[in-house]
Amino acid sequence: MVLTGRVLSTSRRLLLGTALSATALAGCGLLDRTPAPDPLPDPLQPLLDEALALAAAYDRVILADAALAARLTPLADDHRAHATELARVIGTTAPSAAPPASAPAGAADTTATLRKAEQAAQKTAMAACKAAPRERAGLAGSIAACRATHAEALR
Amino acid sequence: MTEQLAAALAAEEAAIYAYGVIGVRLSDADEVSRARACELEHRRRRDELVDRLDELRASTAPAPPAYRLPFEVADREDALKLAVHVEDGVAQAWRALLPVTDGDERADPLSYLTDSAVRATRWRRIAEVTPLTMAFPGRPG
Repeated sequence: MVLTGRVLSTSRRLLLGTALSATALAGCGLLDRTPAPDPLPDPLQPLLDEALALAAAYDRVILADAALAARLTPLADDHRAHATELARVIGTTAPSAAPPASAPAGAADTTATLRKAEQAAQKTAMAACKAAPRERAGLAGSIAACRATHAEALR
Repeated sequence: MTEQLAAALAAEEAAIYAYGVIGVRLSDADEVSRARACELEHRRRRDELVDRLDELRASTAPAPPAYRLPFEVADREDALKLAVHVEDGVAQAWRALLPVTDGDERADPLSYLTDSAVRATRWRRIAEVTPLTMAFPGRPG
């Protein structure tokens, strides 16, 4: 009697378990697929946004003072090269225009504000380099180093 | 990683040698002291690498007694060009450590890559070479 009772209760537990997991599966959306939420942005996306914003900031300074063009154009070009490479690695296309600028609109950019922006952007790239998987570490590291050389070139 | 550390050691040793040659061709006091400061930094990194490789019990090839310079260094202009060349090369060696390390292990290689790239930019400015920067410092090729 005791033995039969145990067997019965075991099979009941099994049945209950099966029923529960079927409910759980339905609840998970395996049986009723709902649209997937937007994937998280790529960890390198902030670097890409910054590269485009910096290139645009250089363009504004050059537009305001053409005498700075020779000095600043190569630096803006470096940022565009970064944007192209980052977009390739992320698997997106770099927009030709900067996204809504992180810099306050209307504030006049100068070589001094560019220098500050480069220093901040270097820190972002350093953090991205340390957090990146191995195959991306070199790219993020070179971008961090390049941003540091820009801050130096703007001295 | 040992292989990349050994390559960084070879690059730092070559830099130390090169700055000796560079110093001879410079006369401006500011330029001489900059070259001296660079040499000391490369010596410090060399010592650090020797210790690190020792910890890893890795044997490395001894530094060659002399180096063949990439071009003749006869005057100040050549010396400044060599300084740029050396820092670019050292930056490449340190960048190679990034894909073989993780997280905080990358702090020193990244800092040395950045430091050499910035030194190369300073030397270009002194040499009046443009552009002062490159888009991907340390990237081979």
